Amino acid sequence: MTLAAKIDEAKLEERESRVRRLRAAAVPYLLLLPAVLALAAVALYPTLDGIHASLQRFRYGREMGFAGWDNFAVVYTDAVFWQAILTTAMFVVLVVALETLLGLLLALLVARELRYAGLIRVMLILPMTIAPVVVGVIWRLLYASDIGVVDPLFQALGLDAPHVLAKPVTAFLALVVVDVWEWTPLLFLIILAGLQSMPQDPLEAARVDGASRWQAFFHHTLPLLRPVLLVAVVLRTIDAVGTFDQVFVLTKGGPGTATQLISIYAYNTAFLFNQYGRAMAMLIGVLAFLIVLMSVAVRLMRHTSEKIE
Amino acid sequence: MTAQEKLGRILIYLALAAAILLALFPFWWMLVTSFKRPIDIFSGVALWPQQVTFDNYDRLFNNYHFGYFLLNSVVVVTIAVTVSLILGTLAAYALARFRLRYGARQMALYLVLLVRMLPGIMLCIPLYIVLATWGLLNTRLGLILIYAGLNTSFVVWMMQSFLEEIPRDIEEAAMVDGDSRLTALRRIVIPLAAPGLIATAIFSVIATYNDFIIALTLTSTPDAQTVPVGVSTLIGKIEIQWGPMAAAGVVGALPIIIFALIVQRNFVRGLTLGAVK
Repeated sequence: MTLAAKIDEAKLEERESRVRRLRAAAVPYLLLLPAVLALAAVALYPTLDGIHASLQRFRYGREMGFAGWDNFAVVYTDAVFWQAILTTAMFVVLVVALETLLGLLLALLVARELRYAGLIRVMLILPMTIAPVVVGVIWRLLYASDIGVVDPLFQALGLDAPHVLAKPVTAFLALVVVDVWEWTPLLFLIILAGLQSMPQDPLEAARVDGASRWQAFFHHTLPLLRPVLLVAVVLRTIDAVGTFDQVFVLTKGGPGTATQLISIYAYNTAFLFNQYGRAMAMLIGVLAFLIVLMSVAVRLMRHTSEKIE
Repeated sequence: MTAQEKLGRILIYLALAAAILLALFPFWWMLVTSFKRPIDIFSGVALWPQQVTFDNYDRLFNNYHFGYFLLNSVVVVTIAVTVSLILGTLAAYALARFRLRYGARQMALYLVLLVRMLPGIMLCIPLYIVLATWGLLNTRLGLILIYAGLNTSFVVWMMQSFLEEIPRDIEEAAMVDGDSRLTALRRIVIPLAAPGLIATAIFSVIATYNDFIIALTLTSTPDAQTVPVGVSTLIGKIEIQWGPMAAAGVVGALPIIIFALIVQRNFVRGLTLGAVK
């Protein structure tokens, strides 16, 4: 072989190894690409498209051209919108608080050694596994004034039948009860997992030192549980803001606007009145709030996993 | 055990019994109602059907297209979940095994979380506009594409944490023996990650099967409507037909309850979405 041929071959080999290295470096990005494209297509693109829609004028569901901030101006000066926000806020605060308290209580009850612990756990979490629409059907059957259980129960206690879904205040509370029934199990599960992965030594040491059950709980268990609790509360809050299915099945926002959560109002605005732009203008405000919550959640999760590791 | 401890134990079991009763009684009421004749449904609170009838189920399938809803759900869920498992696992592998540059890791994880967090109502308005322009409204294909994409975020999130627990040595040994990375992934990693993959598949099935608002807005006839939408149409159309409505609830809930009972242990992890390891 001549020298020139040898040099050529060496060059070729070098180029080949460079290609191989490049290809190896590209592998992870190629693996990521399909998923990222899919996510972008179904979430990022619609979000951007939604922002675009919020700046358009719609008539009978058709885009009629650029509207500037008109949709935002209409929505954010609309008393019904602010009422929906207030209703949603009250709903979210109430359900998250109740679910956290009850979930904590249940988790503390189940965290000790019990017979049939697995079975008890699965029975307690059944409400969160079924479709929210079915949850709506179930409670429709319980609340119905002619065939239900709730009215007869009040009458049996010597009280007036409340006709829960027919009156504003009771309808709102009825939805809170439904949500607590459905989602307490989630808080219960997360808190239970947190309790079970907790180091037992400090707790035992405290008990040996003569701390009462309450002292041990407030000075040891609760502080250790704090990160898990925070993550659970943030996750649940994010989901609760979007609550739609059960309300749609049970009250559709009524009576009047008593249970009109922001999701219901946006749905009606978009699909009853075909005002997509206004609906998106509402939801962009909600999205901004959720993004803040999410970044809190990410920070907390990082914190939690560091602590557990 | 002292008397006090015994009393404490009894109280704990009593409290749990009350909680379980509250959790399960509503299911029981729906089940009982679905087996009652109309006349019995209106005859006051009876915790057991006076006379068991399958009439409500009969009408559900013969008069109210419930067979179509079930078929649509099965087709849409099966294909969407399969696609998302493939896309999501590949991405999760990249995130779990490689040191990614250009902040790709952070970006991918944020995207995943964003999808997880977006409320359905937020997505379905733009998706409605998009599908309308592509002529995919009220088609199974439209639903499949969207659910496959949305569910991918869930799969990435779950599989990443499962894959990180598998030691790298084993697949590296396989690669030294001449396997390519993809062969190693298929032959070594996937079998080891099988329990996680199965758990992820099950939760994906449940989440997709249960979804309501996206299917509600993007479909309009039994050609493409899924079970939850089918249940909701029953409520609108036949306000007073409580029997078939209860039966629809039972049929809608049954597949998921059976799932939950079978996969108790793995269930927890998916439901809490990796919030706690």
